[in-house]
Amino acid sequence: MRMLVLSWLWGLGLLLAWASAQSPKEAPSRAREASAIQFERDIQPIFAKHCLSCHGPRKAKGGLRLDHPDLAFKGGNSGPVIVPGDSRKSRLIRVVDGSDPDLKMPEGGKPLSQEEIAKLRAWIDQGAHWPKPAAGPTALRSDHWAYQPIRRPAIPAVKNTAWVRNPIDAFVLARLEQEGIAPSPEADRLTLLRRVSLDLTGLPPTLEEIEAFLRDSSSEAYERAVDRLLNSPHYGERWARHWLDLARYADSDGYEKDLGRPWAWRWRNWVIDALNQDKPFDQFVIEQLAGDLLPNASIEQKVATGFHRNTLTNREGGVDQEQFRVEAVVDRVNTTFAVFFGTTMNCCQCHDHKYDPFTQREFYQIFAFFNNDQEVDIPAPMPGEEEALRPKLAAHERQRQELLQALEKRRQELRQQLGNWEAQLTDAARSKLPANVQAVLQTPPASRTEAQTQVLLDHLAASDATLVALNKKLQAHDRNKPTVTHAQTLRLGQLRKTHVLIRGDFLRPGAEVQPGTPAVLHPFQPKHNPPNRLDLAEWIVDPANPLTPRVTVNWIWQRYFGRGIVPTVNDFGTQGEKPSHPELLDWLASEFIRQGWSLKKLHRLIVTSATYRQSSAYRPELEQRDPYNALLARQNRLRLEAEVIRDNALAVSGLLVRRIGGPSVRPPQPPGISELTYAGSARWVESTGPDRYRRGLYIWFQRTSPYPTLVLFDAPDSNVCCMKRERSNTPLQSLTLLNDVVFVECAQAFGKQWAERPGELRDRLRLAFRTALTREPTASELSRLETLWHEFVAEAERDPKASEVLLGQYRPANVPLPQAVAWVGVARVLLNLDEFITRE
Amino acid sequence: MTPWEEFLVQTRRSFLTSTAGGIGLLALASMLREDRLLAEEAYLDRRINPLAPRPGHFPGKAKNCICIYLEGGPSQLDLFDPKPKLNELHGQKLPESLVKNVRFAFIQKDTATIMGSPRKFTKHGQCGMELSDYLPHLATCVDDICLVRSMWTEAFNHHPGQLLMNTGSTQFGRPSMGSWLVYGLGSESRNLPGYVVLTAGRGTSGGTSNWSSGFLPTSYAGVLFRNQGEPVLNLNNPPGLTRGMQEKTIAALRDLNQLHGGVARDPEIQSRIAAYELAFRMQAAAPELLDFSNETKETLEMYGLFRNDDGTSSRGGGRGVYHSFALNCLLARRLVERGVRFVSIFHASWDHHSNLDKELAFNCKMADQPIAALLKDLKRRGLLDSTLVIWLSEFGRTPLGENRPGFTSVSGRDHHPFAFSIWLAGGGIKGGQVIGKTDELGWNVVEDPIHVHDLHATILHLFGFDHTKLTYRFQGRDFRLTDIGGRVITKMLA
Repeated sequence: MRMLVLSWLWGLGLLLAWASAQSPKEAPSRAREASAIQFERDIQPIFAKHCLSCHGPRKAKGGLRLDHPDLAFKGGNSGPVIVPGDSRKSRLIRVVDGSDPDLKMPEGGKPLSQEEIAKLRAWIDQGAHWPKPAAGPTALRSDHWAYQPIRRPAIPAVKNTAWVRNPIDAFVLARLEQEGIAPSPEADRLTLLRRVSLDLTGLPPTLEEIEAFLRDSSSEAYERAVDRLLNSPHYGERWARHWLDLARYADSDGYEKDLGRPWAWRWRNWVIDALNQDKPFDQFVIEQLAGDLLPNASIEQKVATGFHRNTLTNREGGVDQEQFRVEAVVDRVNTTFAVFFGTTMNCCQCHDHKYDPFTQREFYQIFAFFNNDQEVDIPAPMPGEEEALRPKLAAHERQRQELLQALEKRRQELRQQLGNWEAQLTDAARSKLPANVQAVLQTPPASRTEAQTQVLLDHLAASDATLVALNKKLQAHDRNKPTVTHAQTLRLGQLRKTHVLIRGDFLRPGAEVQPGTPAVLHPFQPKHNPPNRLDLAEWIVDPANPLTPRVTVNWIWQRYFGRGIVPTVNDFGTQGEKPSHPELLDWLASEFIRQGWSLKKLHRLIVTSATYRQSSAYRPELEQRDPYNALLARQNRLRLEAEVIRDNALAVSGLLVRRIGGPSVRPPQPPGISELTYAGSARWVESTGPDRYRRGLYIWFQRTSPYPTLVLFDAPDSNVCCMKRERSNTPLQSLTLLNDVVFVECAQAFGKQWAERPGELRDRLRLAFRTALTREPTASELSRLETLWHEFVAEAERDPKASEVLLGQYRPANVPLPQAVAWVGVARVLLNLDEFITRE
Repeated sequence: MTPWEEFLVQTRRSFLTSTAGGIGLLALASMLREDRLLAEEAYLDRRINPLAPRPGHFPGKAKNCICIYLEGGPSQLDLFDPKPKLNELHGQKLPESLVKNVRFAFIQKDTATIMGSPRKFTKHGQCGMELSDYLPHLATCVDDICLVRSMWTEAFNHHPGQLLMNTGSTQFGRPSMGSWLVYGLGSESRNLPGYVVLTAGRGTSGGTSNWSSGFLPTSYAGVLFRNQGEPVLNLNNPPGLTRGMQEKTIAALRDLNQLHGGVARDPEIQSRIAAYELAFRMQAAAPELLDFSNETKETLEMYGLFRNDDGTSSRGGGRGVYHSFALNCLLARRLVERGVRFVSIFHASWDHHSNLDKELAFNCKMADQPIAALLKDLKRRGLLDSTLVIWLSEFGRTPLGENRPGFTSVSGRDHHPFAFSIWLAGGGIKGGQVIGKTDELGWNVVEDPIHVHDLHATILHLFGFDHTKLTYRFQGRDFRLTDIGGRVITKMLA
């Protein structure tokens, strides 16, 4: 009976709805009288049945949620969908009744019945009354581990307590004991010294450092070495390079002409300094994202914003500048979320995230933080630079005045020659003059105004070789005006409105959005209105943030073990891998915050752990059980990064110039590389002198034709954030180490050192080996090297003239030629060993 | 002599006398045999040799690919897609409806007018394909060619357009087509890289991003064979290092690496040893590649190796570019014969905003003969059936003449992404057909629109891949060459 009444009622409703469509002015009031629709009874069930699985608290497809009036009336990414009082203007109705040609709802589900549609229409036409719930909308929820708050877990108890050096080890050992696996023994002392030197500074220990370490027999010798390395300025270089990977640092624009960025390095310097000073990570982040917005921002704090100036630029003729401005802002959103959240926001540029609880609307809310920025290059002098510049500027100005005087003098001469010139002018010549000149000549000289005379003078000046040359000289002089170092920075510009971009297309703006943060993450409490980048930065380093501390300790951990506790360092979402040691990850994250976000303390904690100090020898018995060494029953052998391979060859051979910071350098590269770029715009002007031997992180990175050795050894392409480098192994790498000019020069210099050293052959070979690999050679290794040395001597003796070329400019004094050649041969082999390019 | 010729003489000499640079081939071969340096199983193990051959999703007809990329956007209206209507309407404005929502790089909409083409189009071959008089040599190959007149792209600036065509995305950082194929199939060549890039003349605006392996491992990146100095970067031993010394070096490296391998027990060390051995083989094989003594004079002449350009243009790369381009076409065949999976030939620039007739003539005279020779040469050697040849650029050119501010006359065309032409041949392609139609002005595609993703999907299909399943996980997402689009164009298939 009840059903019948209901259906009758709805039949009536349908009629009424039809009537309302016919006469919109009177119908709604009549409808309200006849059958008032009750939201809870009539509409909510329809939403629940057809809509909420996609437009509810778990998912808000298209930015639309129909579970709360505040959100429902706001609408979706393309704007409101309910217009109270007018069902015909309501998109909600058009997409369910089939009148929208592009979109049918529910997507992939059973269509609404005519009755349900009629109810919706009637409800809207009656004013879409939706009783206000007591509570606000529920936040988007997720049970995924990575979005839960970080808790500080208790340190687990272990059986083998003697092995534990710090809490890291307790977490690792507890797991190993669970599996019944014993950890590996500690690596021998010299391997350990080499490992930690490479990890903390990217340079191998020198012979002196090795000797000093061996002499220190105290139990704290290793810790002392760690402290020495953390205090070395090379620590800043080493870890700056990791940060540069994340920040997609390069020295050129990227697209097409790929113009150089002469000031990009200034931000790199800032990173090196900040790390060496152990600037707390929260401050490190705030300054890079919003240094310009800090109260009384210093120049250095503004320089820090160069982090987000590493985006690509397209200066190609005929491009739409707005398109590439939007692309740069999109990249700033993506990079921010990759680096600090291990989250692939990229998906949300065009649509809601398929797997993770982030919406397209939220993407553009973050976009809004970066949408008002201007790119400005500001003067950012280095210490002492301005003082040094002052006399140079004065000299420049003096020369400029001299040029101006010469110009004026020549002009006066022309003025005096004017009468002569006019007198000698033939009719034919006169007729070829420009019209305005001819016009002036009509007036007799005596009655000409100064302006008229000036026309004639200008004409003469334009064809006067002396004057033209002087003018050119002046222009060139002005172009070469000495200037202080500049820095690429971001600055808050005029506020723009931000819209959701439909399908990510900058030409299709949708609903307007305000700056905001994803609902699934910790609360956002901005201090500014509208919220700005500084609010965003502070929200990112809020200790309540479940992601940033975890993501940060994880990628740092990865640099030490070749693999993160979460192996997918760039994906903490539901598609990423789960942490191998979740409690360890949380303990490290909480400890990082507890230690005032100190990176150096975090590094020290990791490298002094027993876990880190294990031998890296492969354990065949574990290959089946733990093929990726996720349980950390040993260290991992890691091939060195591109820059570090070159740094090591330079260091070992004594060529390395250890100056910290400064502009990028262009060491020799084979001909024909920069010619690959468009119109040769990336011309490679080789650096001279010491700049040829600087560390790899200073090599000019030209995006369309990067330095070949970097590319071959898997340096990132620097176009997007890179949190994990590949480690490939190719024949082209072998050819590079064998034959590239830089490595050959290293072999020559390295060989010369040992050729000139007095002493027994075997002793020298032993020390050369130790210089390259830190450890002592075994007896068979030493014999093998000795054989090689003698083989080279024999080869060289056959044709000493030809082999002399092999010494290059490194001919040792007072050494027989064949022996000198043999040392280069030995050096070249040492620099090519697998172990030489590996961190054991 | 051009640098190339100098180089040829020099490398041939060094090859024949087995001195200087690389190790002699024979010596090396026997050395490798004696030492059994690279065991068969190691060669086939992807962990040791990332280029180890492996099958696709299903047997594909194509085994190798030669991709001829003419950067800049050659004018389809003057080469492939005859539009008599343009000559009729020459000098008139386009209907407002066509240009209303269109963005141009340089054209000023208000005053732009239609530009006719002085080219003569005639029918060729059994299929009767119409081509312009700028392509007399290609005209003799039309029955092997599938001409597509209905390509379209969304990129209308060069660099994004090149990235889309070569990597499937307008953004930096994606792997190129060649990288995907070598990642998917490995390479049959044991002595050469699986993916080789040849360039002539000046560089493209995309630079190395056009053959980058993106987020795929570097092993799958295109390896540039250079046209000056050594063919492969760092191929030659340092000056003064004798063959004997190099042999001793190899042996010592292997022994010392093995010794340490005994302690560290890391399989990666075996992989390093294998990489060194491949490098040594490459040192011998690369110069051999450039030794043309076993090519007949007829073949060399067919490719136009001895032609010299008339110096009427410097845009296409200056003096010597005719020779370099012909050489690259011949080298492409030799690389394919040696099992190289993917060969890219790049030439810039075909970006004729002005002076189009003369510049296009210059470039066609350079490219037409060697490309036709390559097709014929592949065919007579029985290689065309398994070698896919593609002729590409990032977009075409407008039916409107370009009236950029500052131009004194209208003599060229602007970028046109909505409709342009490309062609394919061999490797499972059905030749002797034209796919797609454009409207009578050549403005829009009216039949069989083919997007870049569709082309990529079809190419992968020819090699035996389902384009939706050839993926690589990066930053939490499974990426593919065709991004989120692409469908196989069955009409193209033989």
